[in-house]
Amino acid sequence: MSSSDRSSPLPSSSSRLAVAGSARGPSRPGEGATLSGRTLVRVICTAGSGALEYTHAFVTAYTADHLRGAVAQRLSVGAYELLSNALNFGSVSSDIVIELIESDNMVGVRVANDAIAARVAMLTEHLVKLKTNAEQTFLEELRRSVTGGIPRPMLGLARVAHEAALTLDLQVQERRISVTAQCRR
Amino acid sequence: MSQFSDVRVPKAETVAIQVTAPNQVKLSGTITQKDPANDLAGFFKALHTAALADRLAEVRADVSGLTFVNSSAIRLFVDWATWVKNERGHRYTLRFITSRNVTWQKTSFMALMSLAKEVLAIEHVT
Repeated sequence: MSSSDRSSPLPSSSSRLAVAGSARGPSRPGEGATLSGRTLVRVICTAGSGALEYTHAFVTAYTADHLRGAVAQRLSVGAYELLSNALNFGSVSSDIVIELIESDNMVGVRVANDAIAARVAMLTEHLVKLKTNAEQTFLEELRRSVTGGIPRPMLGLARVAHEAALTLDLQVQERRISVTAQCRR
Repeated sequence: MSQFSDVRVPKAETVAIQVTAPNQVKLSGTITQKDPANDLAGFFKALHTAALADRLAEVRADVSGLTFVNSSAIRLFVDWATWVKNERGHRYTLRFITSRNVTWQKTSFMALMSLAKEVLAIEHVT
């Protein structure tokens, strides 16, 4: 279902963690691999700006025009939630970059931003939970959102993994984190 | 006199809202603002209160035209279902009209059912 090329769930100066999306059947070869290919769209957002809605609208319109409807909808969820997380939790001292990337078989959205170590650890821990059981984690976060859980519910990434069934790939290099949500084209 | 149909509809940029007597509310468009609770939480609460006052057996919330919502908006639907579930006196069935063609609706409402199945009903349109 999923893979990680590091044995420790916590980030070192350079690490990677992949989480397969759920609800779309077993993963196929290549789905857990790092997505590399042609960059279709690249938007640089200033941290703390109100770029979320406009950027999401643009990415959604672009994917709707270039990809199959169901794939476009899934990537729309991924783009929104990844960018929202980066804008909410990323460092304000550096830019946030969102990219739409396609390879021969895969397409995905990647968001890169700087973050403090505690945030990287929290994100990694959450991804490990999603890797274990995305559906259960989605339900837990939904339940926690009713009770106003502390820490704040993290429904966004659970949506990406379970609802949109996108494979999540976290890469950490020093303070720079990069999260990719991808699926087959 | 229906209190439900008298509930004031908020102005929201990306979502169109229509309340129809005696028991239907229809939302279409997208909900992408960072904190949709500012526009919609009070509105949903007002619908809930009015539905109780009107002693409605069912409220129909047609979300089939909502093509995208963010996770904050999903929480609003969870809240609404929870209000109904927690009612000790009269309570109504909250029926969501959803579309099979909209990705977010399939999993979110299925999950919502598991949290409040005694007061929810899900109906699918194409």
